[in-house]
Amino acid sequence: MTFLRQHWLSLVSLLVATLIFLVPFGFIALTAVKDRQQAALLDFSWPTSFQLWENLVEVVTTRNWMVVTAFINSTILTVVSVALLVLLGAMVGFVLQRRKSRWNGFINFLVLTGLMLPPAVVPTIWLLQGMGLFARLHGLILIEVAYHLSFCVLLYRAFIATIPRELDEAAIIDGARSYDVFFRVILPLLWPVTVTVIVVQSVAIFNDFTNPLYYLPGNQNATVQLTLYNFQSQFETAYNLLFTNILLITIPPLIVFLFFNRQIIAGMTAGAVKG
Amino acid sequence: MAGLRLRDLRKRYGDLEVIKGVDLTVEHGEFVVFVGPSGCGKSTLLRMIAGLEDITAGELYIGDKLCNTVEPRDRGIAMVFQNYALYPHMTVYDNVGFGLKLARTPKEERDRKIRDAARILQMEHLLDRKPSQLSGGQRQRVAIGRAIVRQPEVFLFDEPLSNLDAALRVDMRMELAKLHHDLGSTMIYVTHDQVEAMTLADKIVVLDGGVVQQVGSPIELYQRPANLFVAGFIGSPKMNFAPVKLDRTSGDAVLVSSSDTGSVEVSAEAPALSPGASLTLGVRPQALHLDPSGPLVGKVVLVERLGSETNVSLRLASGQTWLAVLDGNAAVSSGDMLRLGFAPAQAMLFGPDGGVLPAKIQQQQEIVA
Repeated sequence: MTFLRQHWLSLVSLLVATLIFLVPFGFIALTAVKDRQQAALLDFSWPTSFQLWENLVEVVTTRNWMVVTAFINSTILTVVSVALLVLLGAMVGFVLQRRKSRWNGFINFLVLTGLMLPPAVVPTIWLLQGMGLFARLHGLILIEVAYHLSFCVLLYRAFIATIPRELDEAAIIDGARSYDVFFRVILPLLWPVTVTVIVVQSVAIFNDFTNPLYYLPGNQNATVQLTLYNFQSQFETAYNLLFTNILLITIPPLIVFLFFNRQIIAGMTAGAVKG
Repeated sequence: MAGLRLRDLRKRYGDLEVIKGVDLTVEHGEFVVFVGPSGCGKSTLLRMIAGLEDITAGELYIGDKLCNTVEPRDRGIAMVFQNYALYPHMTVYDNVGFGLKLARTPKEERDRKIRDAARILQMEHLLDRKPSQLSGGQRQRVAIGRAIVRQPEVFLFDEPLSNLDAALRVDMRMELAKLHHDLGSTMIYVTHDQVEAMTLADKIVVLDGGVVQQVGSPIELYQRPANLFVAGFIGSPKMNFAPVKLDRTSGDAVLVSSSDTGSVEVSAEAPALSPGASLTLGVRPQALHLDPSGPLVGKVVLVERLGSETNVSLRLASGQTWLAVLDGNAAVSSGDMLRLGFAPAQAMLFGPDGGVLPAKIQQQQEIVA
């Protein structure tokens, strides 16, 4: 009885969390395996027939394998953006933290501005059109990098501040040039931050709906989120296909979490960053 | 060969000058210690030699090469830092060989050099460990190994023993002395601990406020300090000082007096000074002994018995406290009135500017800085 009295609040929170997080996901999975008529009921009834494979095939092959193209586009977008964010964020954070120059104050101001200013869509479209980057995937990659760079720079700069300067100096005396110091000494030590950036930003960019909507019009350029949006109108009576699509889209971020979750824990327990 | 020459070296941060014209010559194979209180500029001077700080003015020669603008990796130096600065994500093997890898040394040669250094420092069994798995002393050895493997002309040590406990410090001190003997390289060592300076150095450079106070061997600095600062810094416990007035000079002795000391004769020369001049008398605690007719009278305020010697704090007439170190277990106790004396040759006089008045008997050639 005392167990319940001590932990009743935790149990209640756990129940609420389960309801909020697991129930919708359960509903998605459940509806995805149903056939069209049963899915239209939109309830928690057990599927009469398991049509997951057929649903998958139909979703993937519809409109000339649009979903596959969308997945490829989303993957390229996410991977390249995150790679650029990690590299550029770490480099800028490194220079800002280590090199004291008169420009540091101004650059800090710019970084903070990037964090605070809301994006103005129409001028951005106009700028992209002028540079020939509108409705192109690499244009969207640059947009994503630009929008998320400030956050990454601040994160990296704060973390690099915890790395003692003597490590840089020891490397310099050992013969390292600037890029050696950065790539061989500093960047390996930034692994915990890099993992954080990868997890947070890849999920954010993969799930991003509005930016592809504004800057990548046209079905052939779609990312998975846009595809889902289009499916809503297309499959108005085929909820089973809609939810199969949702299930497909949820998998990559899930994999990222599962994979890097182990990395994050391993990084903390190894105690790697202690001079 | 691979000596060092500093010529009027200066360092300025904006308007603040922290190194004010240092002239120094280091011979090849010498163990030179920069010593001084915190903030005196000894670490800055070391970093200027290493190339981690810019030189505002003056010239630095390593070997025969002018190295003011030369990159640290090309100066032929290696540095051991106070907190080791080992790369946490690399094994000991990779830490030691990092510089060689950057220089694209062939793998066999790199392996041979790393293992040689490991053997010299007795850390062959540690090569596969990461720094986080090592003790403080072991990490320090890895840092030294990393320096050895570069085969530098000059080793630079920046307070390497400060982070170690007392017992380990003594052990590592002896290891460093042995290393110097085995390698025969020029070593420049920075510390604030004068015991380390006295035991390790061939030559000590005492710094205060960015200015070299004196350069000399440990014994020279102990027996013939050039000024008040060096006299008070070298030697533990600190030298006792008392303000005195010049009575008269006679040949190689000077008669001074004060309320604490009465009239006292000291072996010194004061050619340019006239009677009444304000001087400072300095006597080391070890030079004081019990003397029923001695010039110093005072009340004992503290007695510390160390077994081999007794430290006695004496409050003099003016209220000033002097420390005496007496042999063995002295028969004194707190509250006693004591008379102490000292040999004239054991006392030192310092002029109004702080400079020492030379003593004729022990006078030798000036040490070239």
